[in-house]
Amino acid sequence: MIEVKHLSFVYSPKTPFTTQALFDINLKIETGDFFGIIGSTGAGKSTLVSHFNALTKIQKNSGTVIVEDMDLSAKKVDLNKLRAKVGMVFQYPEHQLFADTVLADVMFGPKNIGLSGAEAEERAKRAIELVGLNYGEIAERSPFELSGGQKRRVALAGVIAMQPEILVLDEPTAGLDPRGKRDIMELVLRIKESCPTVIMISHNMDEIAEYCNKIAVLKHGRVMGVFSPRELFGSEELLNSCGVELPLVTEIAVKLNELGVNVDRSVLTEDELFEQLKKAVKDA
Amino acid sequence: MRDVSMGQYYPASSVVHRADPRIKLVILILYLVTVFFCNSFFSYAFMTVFVLITILLSRVPILKVLKSLRLILFILLFTTVLMMIFYVDEGSAPLAEWGIFHIYLNGIYAAIKLGWRLMLLVMMPTVLTLTSTPTELCDGLESLLSPLKVLHLPVHELALIMSIALRLIPTLIEETDKIINAQKARGAAFDSRNPFKKIKAMIPVLIPLFVSSFRRADELADAMDSRCYRGAKGRTRMKKLKAKAGDFIGLLFWCVITVCILFLNYNWFGWAFITMLSI
Repeated sequence: MIEVKHLSFVYSPKTPFTTQALFDINLKIETGDFFGIIGSTGAGKSTLVSHFNALTKIQKNSGTVIVEDMDLSAKKVDLNKLRAKVGMVFQYPEHQLFADTVLADVMFGPKNIGLSGAEAEERAKRAIELVGLNYGEIAERSPFELSGGQKRRVALAGVIAMQPEILVLDEPTAGLDPRGKRDIMELVLRIKESCPTVIMISHNMDEIAEYCNKIAVLKHGRVMGVFSPRELFGSEELLNSCGVELPLVTEIAVKLNELGVNVDRSVLTEDELFEQLKKAVKDA
Repeated sequence: MRDVSMGQYYPASSVVHRADPRIKLVILILYLVTVFFCNSFFSYAFMTVFVLITILLSRVPILKVLKSLRLILFILLFTTVLMMIFYVDEGSAPLAEWGIFHIYLNGIYAAIKLGWRLMLLVMMPTVLTLTSTPTELCDGLESLLSPLKVLHLPVHELALIMSIALRLIPTLIEETDKIINAQKARGAAFDSRNPFKKIKAMIPVLIPLFVSSFRRADELADAMDSRCYRGAKGRTRMKKLKAKAGDFIGLLFWCVITVCILFLNYNWFGWAFITMLSI
């Protein structure tokens, strides 16, 4: 569980370049949530998320973030414990690969949090298999000779091998083709079975609508509200006030509805739309 | 990592900003040589006055220029202290003595002059980079070096390499920040006090940085290739450098200053007032 209370953040304070990135943020992310964070570029999503594992230090008198039982505004935070608990996958995570072999790269995290070689290797093996790669085939190869999709999986495995309880994903599907996107999202669902809380930043409303159970909308450093997908994408008023676009499927459903086809306007996934269309065809 | 803005272009509208970069470079070289001819307190003060005038004309806040001195603070202190305690003046008695260390009055003077010279040497180049964009500087350098083309020196290519390098510094800094964060998120510790551990901790940052630099270089080469970049031959410029009358007046002015300093230094005609000024 992550609780954000009155969190504010200012970049380069006390200089002419000072900009406030976050204003009085209050959020509660419960264990088991698939929590989406959306908002346009510069809304403060990445800044907010980087507080969750103390990559960004909370400034004085700027609120607090509580992760499980750890208060991150405290003077001494056990960073190792925190970073093992909150796994963070950045945009284009494949750019952080560095080791000679895939195995060594995936073991980097577990070793950093103080696990023995054998234990780290065991975890790395499980993580590599969890992300859908063949351990025997890939473990001893250089990560730099893999394909783009494989690299991203290895990078993901490097975070999962730390066995986090909370996984933060910053645009996990950026720069992938539609099939690659789907594969990664299915992978995230598989990961979610062992890592109950997932937080995802995305610009892709289809992903947000299909996978998230709660969505926080950020705008100019403020939280416009936390909604369920149906609440958010079903209300034109909310969408307009938050400046959010419809998922592609929902847009298609709305257009069809306007043309007189009997489908629900608040459809959120392709499967739902398909079912409704089947019914509509049968009725006609 | 974000505070490396030292000496970065400070946009303003001033005579110094508008001046031809070639003339600015020539003046800078002339200035640097002249500083080495200064040897009396009066000549240092004389130069400092003109440096200050240049800063005032450039409309750059003087603190911005002084900040550049922070970079050499250590060297400054180190060299002046060494100068002070090891200077040996046979002609006078030391003011103080501890074993091999002596302090002479002339030693103190020499140390002050050395420090002053270092500061002068750093301030003016800072004014140059604060008032000229990297592009201007590269164009200026290319134009100044163009006579070397006769010797088959790839002048245009050198200038291009320089401008690309300058352009990519902020990008690299940003990238380094990102990678450091990514590795920190995987539990990497960069705050170890042990220097060997510190170097080892940098490997997970340096390797991805190299990889992405090569990738970026490839992409840049492709982008240039696809726009038919073929090097200097037959290439024209959008902004042609053109020196104005004012630029030459500035150059002339600095020549006069150089001559003044040379007079102060050598006193060719044995003028008495110069002898008085040469402490």
